[in-house]
Amino acid sequence: MAGVAETATPTVLQRIASMPLRDPFAFVGLSIYVIFALIALLADVLAPMPPLEILFTSTGKLAANLPPSLDYPFGTTNLGRDIYAQLIHGTRSALAVGLSAAIVVSSVGTVVGLVAGYFGGRIDSLLMRIADMALSLPFLPFVIVLTGFLGASTSNIVLAVALLLWPNSARVIRSQVLTVRERTYVEAARVTGASSWRILFVHVAPNILPLSFVYAAIAIGWAIITEASVSFLGFGDSESVSWGYMLQDAFSSQALSRGQYAWFVPPGICIILIVVAGFFISRGYEEVFMPRLRGR
Amino acid sequence: MILEVDKLQIDYQAKDGVTRAVDGASFVVPEGRIVGLVGESGCGKTTAVRAIMGVLAENGRRAGGRIVFKGQEVDAATTKRLLWRDIAYVPQSAMSSLDPVYTVGAQIVEVLTKRGNANRRDARKRAAELFDLVGLNERRLADYPHQFSGGMRQRAAIAMALALSPSLLLADEPVTALDVIVQRQILDMLRDLQERLHLSMVLVTHDISVVAYLCDEVVVMYAGQVIESGPVREVLARPRHPYTMGLRNAFPDLMTDAMELVPIGGSPPDLRDAPPGCRFAPRCPFVLETCTTGADGHSLANGHMSACRRDGEADLLRKEALDPVTWQRSSSFAAS
Amino acid sequence: MRLVVERFTHNALALLAVTTILFFMFRLMPGTPLAAFINENLNADQQQQMLEQFGLDRPMWQQYFIYLANLLQGEMGLSFFQRRPVTTILLEVLPNSVILTLSSLVIAYVFGVLAGAWLAWKRGSWIERVAVPAVLATRAAPEFWIGMVLLSLLSFNAGWFPSGGASSPGLAYTSNWQRMLSWDYIHHLALPVLTLALYLQGLPLLLMRSNMLEVMHEEFVTMARMKGFSEWRIVIHHAARNALLPVVTAFALGVGLSMGGNVVIETVFSWPGIGRLLVQAVSVHDYPLAQGAFLMIAMVLALMNFVADLLYIVLDPRVSHGRRG
Ligand SMILES: Nc1ncnc2c1ncn2[C@@H]1O[C@H](COP(=O)(O)OP(=O)(O)OP(=O)(O)O)[C@@H](O)[C@H]1O
Ligand SMILES: [Mg+2]
Repeated sequence: MAGVAETATPTVLQRIASMPLRDPFAFVGLSIYVIFALIALLADVLAPMPPLEILFTSTGKLAANLPPSLDYPFGTTNLGRDIYAQLIHGTRSALAVGLSAAIVVSSVGTVVGLVAGYFGGRIDSLLMRIADMALSLPFLPFVIVLTGFLGASTSNIVLAVALLLWPNSARVIRSQVLTVRERTYVEAARVTGASSWRILFVHVAPNILPLSFVYAAIAIGWAIITEASVSFLGFGDSESVSWGYMLQDAFSSQALSRGQYAWFVPPGICIILIVVAGFFISRGYEEVFMPRLRGR
Repeated sequence: MILEVDKLQIDYQAKDGVTRAVDGASFVVPEGRIVGLVGESGCGKTTAVRAIMGVLAENGRRAGGRIVFKGQEVDAATTKRLLWRDIAYVPQSAMSSLDPVYTVGAQIVEVLTKRGNANRRDARKRAAELFDLVGLNERRLADYPHQFSGGMRQRAAIAMALALSPSLLLADEPVTALDVIVQRQILDMLRDLQERLHLSMVLVTHDISVVAYLCDEVVVMYAGQVIESGPVREVLARPRHPYTMGLRNAFPDLMTDAMELVPIGGSPPDLRDAPPGCRFAPRCPFVLETCTTGADGHSLANGHMSACRRDGEADLLRKEALDPVTWQRSSSFAAS
Repeated sequence: MRLVVERFTHNALALLAVTTILFFMFRLMPGTPLAAFINENLNADQQQQMLEQFGLDRPMWQQYFIYLANLLQGEMGLSFFQRRPVTTILLEVLPNSVILTLSSLVIAYVFGVLAGAWLAWKRGSWIERVAVPAVLATRAAPEFWIGMVLLSLLSFNAGWFPSGGASSPGLAYTSNWQRMLSWDYIHHLALPVLTLALYLQGLPLLLMRSNMLEVMHEEFVTMARMKGFSEWRIVIHHAARNALLPVVTAFALGVGLSMGGNVVIETVFSWPGIGRLLVQAVSVHDYPLAQGAFLMIAMVLALMNFVADLLYIVLDPRVSHGRRG
């Protein structure tokens, strides 16, 4: 019996591992992640200048609103700060917010989905009611109120995002659990008298893993957009230079009317790239794991 | 002959190659007769009838052959004019074939007004008549497809097919999804309608007992080819192709006492890479060296066609085929 | 009918839950419970009046019911900074938000549905290969960033649109209606609507496209072909009619969701709507106003969820007409 069950596990993991090779979209998505991860790791090397350092020209004047040049590839802000350095260092806070939110969202969502789907009954309906409730809170207003009153810190933003996003993944994972638990190898494990928790984590969970990844990838994007929005509205973490901070800075310092595109366009592009990468990866997994959608 | 299909070839294009789902199939439908098209799942029955309608899946293509309707050769474009007015179709699953967001009545009226020349009022009257004809209460015209039971949906689909009084009805497994009692009712109704309206009909089925029960002629398909055809009585009483012999053994007979059911071992060949020679050879208990090479067998006597290369020995093979042991030989064969 | 009641109860309960969460959230905010409702700048009389109205001297659970009772009467307290009833302020700005949301959603959905159906029809072509990633990018971009780019290009650079607000200074109108129907108002509305529409069109477009692709493979579409119907009738009457179902539902949901999302758009364009009000209230710690604005947004969300449920019931006979056997 164990043999039956174990054959299911490696194939799922193998499919996850080989997916980027088969799906060009997922490959592009993963590559974008890797590139940004490298930028974040090497930020101090790529941009040795501290992002908030105020720069002066050789004549001793404030290096404000400089156009892009070799020294300052994206120019400088109205306070004479290097935009390129801010962009590079902003990658760190973006990934920090994105990854921590993704981990919280997908692990809470997965555990809730597994428990609700596998045990059913009262636990299930209780958890799903809570999920409904969380989903009926307006997303951005909730985050704003929470960070506005609890204090503007990255961890509060992650908390707010996690509080509102876990139900989406929990619901989908729950319905997937409902189908997986009827499969023969799960039946088989049940017949041999394996304990519920063992079945849940050894036999069911591996089949759910890909979906958890999908929701993690989506949550990364959501969290980064949310952080940017909140920072833009002025409720961001004032300690860290993030893309949202840059956009807010540019907006409130009239960069728009001066046409300083090099200031506010690049952070937006970076956000788009990361979010799109999440779409691509989730699409890739969908095509591998939800064959109904394949080839259409 | 209302319909002649001659050496029809249909290809499906897929990423991993071309499937020739119908490969040189020929058969005819005499006026006012019911022709049974039988064969195992995947042998190309649906593909063949849909090709006659000129409506294939988007990766499907007619690669060769001729279709002649009432003496006129037709292709997909010219068939369009005939659709539903002269040739109508009864699907296997009426549920998925009816649009879920319109009432059944509205869908019949749509056919009558958009393909026929009826105005809305006449169309509604005609729809009620049609429902009456297939034994449904006309009040049910106002219901949506999901509100019908399986048998009723199938009746509604038949009413829809008869809307414009076609002369040829193509019914693709019209009763397969139903339970035996409802199957009988609907088959009886089809027989009755066919006689009253003098319809010609192609009845697709994988169940040879349905053919025996209802049809005048039978066409047996295997792996995209017609391997035997002729009058039902003649073919079922004296099958000349080993596949038909096996098929007859594999199904309970509605008319005579059921004999021991003997399945044919193995499964049909992959059509992307069909074997040379006779396609049944790998599963055939009577296979000879010559079967796997060379040209098709094709012998015609009294309207009874067989593609078996050992047709000369048909009487002898038929006797052997009655013995279940013979078919064990074929299954060990297929396994190796 | 039973379904309608069921969905109504469901959404009403959700709203009640949100209200409850909100109540405790604001009470648990740092500072004294009084601070959440009473402005030290008010005079003693006013303070006393507020104290009584909201029962702030009573236990928490009593406060909760007083709060609910007040809410039902549309009473949400006084704004700290504007010194006016929260309800009045909210009703003043609500039309601006509704107009902004509805006009951009209508544009986004009409465009999205048509373009989505068209892209489904064009599948496999190079247009699809370019358009789908481009649409994905508009979905991935932060709304306010789209706003910033458009503002810079079309307003500051090209000078086609005003850079913010809802009316030019110095104009006076006899009524609110007259103001909203004026050219000046529409001129101010145009760029925020364009931005929001650009951001919103991706969802209906992609949804319509994938629904169409799915529906075109349905057996009833093949049947419509076999009946010899024209391509137009097949695509519009059968495929699109079925593919549209989830899109219409998404529209109603979209009204509720984008009301919440308007928070940033309204800030970018200084559009005097409920989202901007919320942001301002939160940043100056005007608790009653923030709470009121949040509730209003949550209420619209719940209402639109209910409308979406209703639409789904009305449009899909499989839901509205039970099985009869
Ligand atoms: N759209 C398609 N693309 C590729 N291959 C197809 C397609 N439709 C059918 N086929 C293949 O063509 C062959 C014939 O299919 P068809 O549906 O005509 O068989 P059938 O005899 O009607 O079977 P059944 O009894 O199961 O209905 C099968 O091998 C099938 O896999
Ligand atoms: Mg078929």
